[in-house]
Amino acid sequence: MEKVSIVESVLDNLPVALVAKDATDGFRFVLWNKKQEEVTTIRATKAIGRDDYDLFSEESADYFRSVDKAVIKGGRLLKVPEEIIETKHRGEVHLRTIKIPVLDEVTGRQLVVGISEDITEQVRSREQLERLNKTLSEANRELQETQMLLIQAEKLESVGRLAAGVAHEVKNPLALIKLGVDYFDAGIEAGDPNVPKILAQMRDAVARADRIVRGLVDFSSQSSLNREPIHLRTVMEEVLLLVKHELTRSSTKVVVNIPDDLPLAFLDIGKFEQVLINLVINAVHAMSEAAKPTLEIRAKVETLEQVVKNQGARKFEVFREGDKVLILEILDNGTGIQSADSGRLFDPFFTTKATGLGTGLGLSVARRIVELHGGEITIRNRSSKRGAVAQLILPTRLETGKIYLRSEAAMPSPHQTD
Amino acid sequence: MAHKILLVDDEVGFTELLKMNLERTGAYEVMIENDSTLAIAAARSFKPDAILLDIVMPGMDGGDVQAQLEKDPFLRKIPVIMLTALVDSSEVSEGAVAQSGSVIVLPKPVDLPLLKRVLVESIPAA
Repeated sequence: MEKVSIVESVLDNLPVALVAKDATDGFRFVLWNKKQEEVTTIRATKAIGRDDYDLFSEESADYFRSVDKAVIKGGRLLKVPEEIIETKHRGEVHLRTIKIPVLDEVTGRQLVVGISEDITEQVRSREQLERLNKTLSEANRELQETQMLLIQAEKLESVGRLAAGVAHEVKNPLALIKLGVDYFDAGIEAGDPNVPKILAQMRDAVARADRIVRGLVDFSSQSSLNREPIHLRTVMEEVLLLVKHELTRSSTKVVVNIPDDLPLAFLDIGKFEQVLINLVINAVHAMSEAAKPTLEIRAKVETLEQVVKNQGARKFEVFREGDKVLILEILDNGTGIQSADSGRLFDPFFTTKATGLGTGLGLSVARRIVELHGGEITIRNRSSKRGAVAQLILPTRLETGKIYLRSEAAMPSPHQTD
Repeated sequence: MAHKILLVDDEVGFTELLKMNLERTGAYEVMIENDSTLAIAAARSFKPDAILLDIVMPGMDGGDVQAQLEKDPFLRKIPVIMLTALVDSSEVSEGAVAQSGSVIVLPKPVDLPLLKRVLVESIPAA
């Protein structure tokens, strides 16, 4: 008797729920410890001598019975990482259970011993964490969508401002084509030496008009971030075409120095053109009083160590050591930046321009776009000359720099340079 | 005798085709100047009967050239017709050519019969 009471005392004080069922007697419960009472809110006196079908729903009992049979059939321990039981007073209870086949040598009975740990709290915390995580990623996604909308809104504003200039640039080739038509319309004689010249000019004009209209359409098209490998000069040429009217009108001299052998940048072309158009138009506005407005655009490649020595490491925490980075600079000889404004350049709605010339979103959106490319943008006054310099630092590999968007899967495979 | 026209416009192709169209009528001799900063010098040496002047040009724009012409006692007598893509043709109806002071403005693309008529009306009979 004493031996039995010691065992019972031990079983009742275990921190795990423990039951035993007699497989040779219809899987009736023969053991039901204190912890099992707590977990199931069913007293041992109610459970002993009964089976799962007496205590639980049919569905649950079917499941328990199938596991029990599997344990007997397999003749070895079986782990159930998570099972759920419906209890009268605690609702759903989650258990992590081990089931062991035990042969009672004294009676010859085949028992199934179940040892369960109550993991309800853990599961609830996990579920709560998952919910919070989901809410967070939802909020993050909405934020990114809003940013994309903001980028698009700012871009359409740019398109609106560029439209007059683009129309002018399209009208010029149209004017040429019309003169060609007029010439032919007036009748041509065989062997007129002007004819091949006129046709060549007309073809060129059509191509020119097509290129600028296509440029504007490509620029205004909305898309999520879609980066592709491209040479910085190709992008710059497109941009200079779109702002040609503004440059001509302001008599701005443009000096472009972008070497052929630069590594490709991974750019969303439309969005990156938006950044460059902003910077160029800002520079043109800043140079409106300059005697000889000159825009200098230059690019080079540097490895991170060199950059660190020159500019300080903190700025480049998004890049890995030894990374090659592209440095694109747009320099003007305009009024430069007032020291009071230097800290606010990238603030949304900050503008030094007259009403109607800008909403003050340009640079804040430009910075966001550059960050989406894993890059950095700074604008400061030139040290040796009058004017300001906008500097963009861009990764030469897709995986370099911060990854801000989840839609990276849609991108082309990374360009392996080294 | 053909009237002498000085054509100042940075669009090379446009100036070539306009010259061809005007000269084939036999009524005009056209000199092209694609660099607006040389327009005044060209006007002095060529002594045109009329000047066709683009507005949006790098260096000196049409307005700057016009101001320089006004300052010169001889050149200010030459009628100036401005050609520009900035003006929409719908704003300039055929009957009422837009006038800015004594300067006539015609839209690009150019309506050739209209341009020829304006030239005839602008150039004083010899």
